[in-house]
Amino acid sequence: MTFEEAQKELEEIVRRLETGEAPLDEALKLWERGEELYRFCRERLEAAEGRIEELASRVQDTKATNPEKP
Amino acid sequence: MKAEAIEYGDRRVYSVGAFNRGVASWLARLPTVWVEGEVTELRRQERWASVFFTLKDPADGACLGVSMPRGRFDALRLELADGDRVHVYGRPELYEARGEFRLRALSLERFGLGDHLAALERLKQKLAAEGLFAAERKRPLPFLPRRIGLVTGNDAAAKRDVLTSIQTRFPPAHVLVAETYVQGPRAAGAVIETLRALCGEPEIDVIVVARGGGSFEDLLPFSDERLVRAVADCAVPIVTAVGHEQDTPLCDLAADARASTPSVAARLVVPDLAELLQRLDRHRQGLERGTRRALERERQRLDRTHERLGRAPRLLVERGRSRLEQAAGRLKALSPRGTLERGYAIVRAGDEIVRSSRAVEPGQGVDVELAEGGFGARVEDVK
Repeated sequence: MTFEEAQKELEEIVRRLETGEAPLDEALKLWERGEELYRFCRERLEAAEGRIEELASRVQDTKATNPEKP
Repeated sequence: MKAEAIEYGDRRVYSVGAFNRGVASWLARLPTVWVEGEVTELRRQERWASVFFTLKDPADGACLGVSMPRGRFDALRLELADGDRVHVYGRPELYEARGEFRLRALSLERFGLGDHLAALERLKQKLAAEGLFAAERKRPLPFLPRRIGLVTGNDAAAKRDVLTSIQTRFPPAHVLVAETYVQGPRAAGAVIETLRALCGEPEIDVIVVARGGGSFEDLLPFSDERLVRAVADCAVPIVTAVGHEQDTPLCDLAADARASTPSVAARLVVPDLAELLQRLDRHRQGLERGTRRALERERQRLDRTHERLGRAPRLLVERGRSRLEQAAGRLKALSPRGTLERGYAIVRAGDEIVRSSRAVEPGQGVDVELAEGGFGARVEDVK
């Protein structure tokens, strides 16, 4: 599941709960699922640590083996 | 032509003239081509058969000597000045007397900014006709890219601006930076190569091509047909952030999205973390509120049911009583009393109710029952 899918499902659950169309049993199930999705999203955002990498070698290598034509 | 050499033992040695002739004949086999550059050091004299100038590459300063027959040059009436951009049609040759390599020009055209723009416009029309810039070709950008490819020059400012904007907006972003040439004749090929390399990397969900502002010529590689096609064909969605707002290199039109500044590029490729967290928390509150409301609603319903349950016995008694009264009424209507009330009488002879005059005889005694009381009577006459 992607973050976006999880967020979308969470939004839909909140909407259903707020319109009050769900009976209690279902409401409780929705709430559980919503909490799960919330935790999933939070973890996604908090687990990731920013990273900057350099892709230098490969392009440089290709250049080296491909000398410019005169 | 084969250059003649002198043998000194096992060493073959050429005279300068023979060497130059050899190289010249080899050069003469090369084709006639167009070369673009800026005119400098133009030298023309009435007594010379040729006009000489140096053609300079404005991107990297590379130089090339050019000679052109004076008659042909004069006939063009170009009135060239230093710095004029020209296209020269010619062939490489070696000036044998001095061993100097140069371009022998057969034709020459001024190629100014206007010509550049016209050529770009033609290319733009051609690519547009192919549908390369069509809106339906544009792909949606990922909401939360796993990794972001960044194609940039080693120009510190442009790279830093994009990285800072991305990291400020979304600190957990993963960026794979690929530095390459973004200026000069090698730029288009180098950027294409870099795009290809980035596409081969795992988890790259979007690529930003960033280059700071520059002159019209500086940005020309980003209108190179090969690069524009590579951008359109790239397997990964591309955001271009090339030059300033007013510059529109053709690669911008082929890209999936165009950013006028580095911070716009960041807005396009990553979500705002703070906003995302706020939204998540809002959803969580919504979850709790919604669930509490569902519980509350259910509790109220239970209360109402319970109340109705309490009212049930009284209702039952009441219902029973009214049914009883109804039955009593019907019973009353059916009993002889009701009939007597309406003025009828019951006549009995002994224990038998008299229903026919044939059951009595004159002089016989009968009992008459009325609604109120009764009396004895004697039959006078039978009809």
